Amino acid sequence: MLLRVIPCPGNKRGYSITPLMSDSSTRTVSPSIVAVASWLVPGAGYWLIGQRARALTVGISIIVLFVAGLLIGGIRLIEVPGYGDHGDELVVSQRDSRYGDGPQAFVEQVTEEKSIPSDARPVGWVMRVHPLDEIRNKPWYIAQILAGPLDLIASWGSIKASQPGPNSEPFLGFRSHARNNELGVLYTAVAGMLNLLAIIDAASRAAHEEERA
Amino acid sequence: MTFFFAWTPFLDPIPIWANAVWPWLLIPLTAAVALVYKSIKCRTMRQVPREAAAIAIWIVLGMAVAAMVLSGVVRAMEW
Repeated sequence: MLLRVIPCPGNKRGYSITPLMSDSSTRTVSPSIVAVASWLVPGAGYWLIGQRARALTVGISIIVLFVAGLLIGGIRLIEVPGYGDHGDELVVSQRDSRYGDGPQAFVEQVTEEKSIPSDARPVGWVMRVHPLDEIRNKPWYIAQILAGPLDLIASWGSIKASQPGPNSEPFLGFRSHARNNELGVLYTAVAGMLNLLAIIDAASRAAHEEERA
Repeated sequence: MTFFFAWTPFLDPIPIWANAVWPWLLIPLTAAVALVYKSIKCRTMRQVPREAAAIAIWIVLGMAVAAMVLSGVVRAMEW
């Protein structure tokens, strides 16, 4: 019956991910190298340990999913921490908010550099001053970055597409909204999370092979 | 149709707004999740296509059932 999910043989419990479930052609490579390679190019970790069919299936699926997400939502769906809607660096600025003779107090504001109010003093790039707050504002980026340098290239593209165009357009690319944006973000974030699974699995297979050797 | 020809891939979001179209975008997502998950889980890659197809169908059926149940809840609340 097509719909019956059969537990994969070789695994006694039938559900967990164990390094025992490996192809016969396995090579000994350091697990950390396998993990780094898996992040750099999805599926490359499996390739290094000699599991090429698995490497191609996992790698192509993850890359296609990530690129499909960018196609659905446009490249500007990648919200890069530290950069604003116009592709400029976000800067923390402080304004003196002391009332009368009261204690010294400051109000902090995060804006793009050109939007800093005239009475405010720039403190620095938000990723240097409040990096965790900025990343917390853009949580999907944590999942997306797990897809590797592909996401870094997309981030660069997103910043460039947010900047004014050559023919005095306000920006090169449009920002998606509603379902287009939701689906695009979902595709790219799921691609990153699947790559995390692949990184862990490839590294654990490499560690198992190292122990056996 | 005019929107489609004016579309610049990657710079602009895909010009799909119809409610009848966007649920189909669930299928490639499901297929990729099923393929990667089963590639990680199965001992040999020969098992993957069948296993992935089965789990993909289960995911789509599950989502369809969840959609119907939620739709029923919304209608009941509105009624």
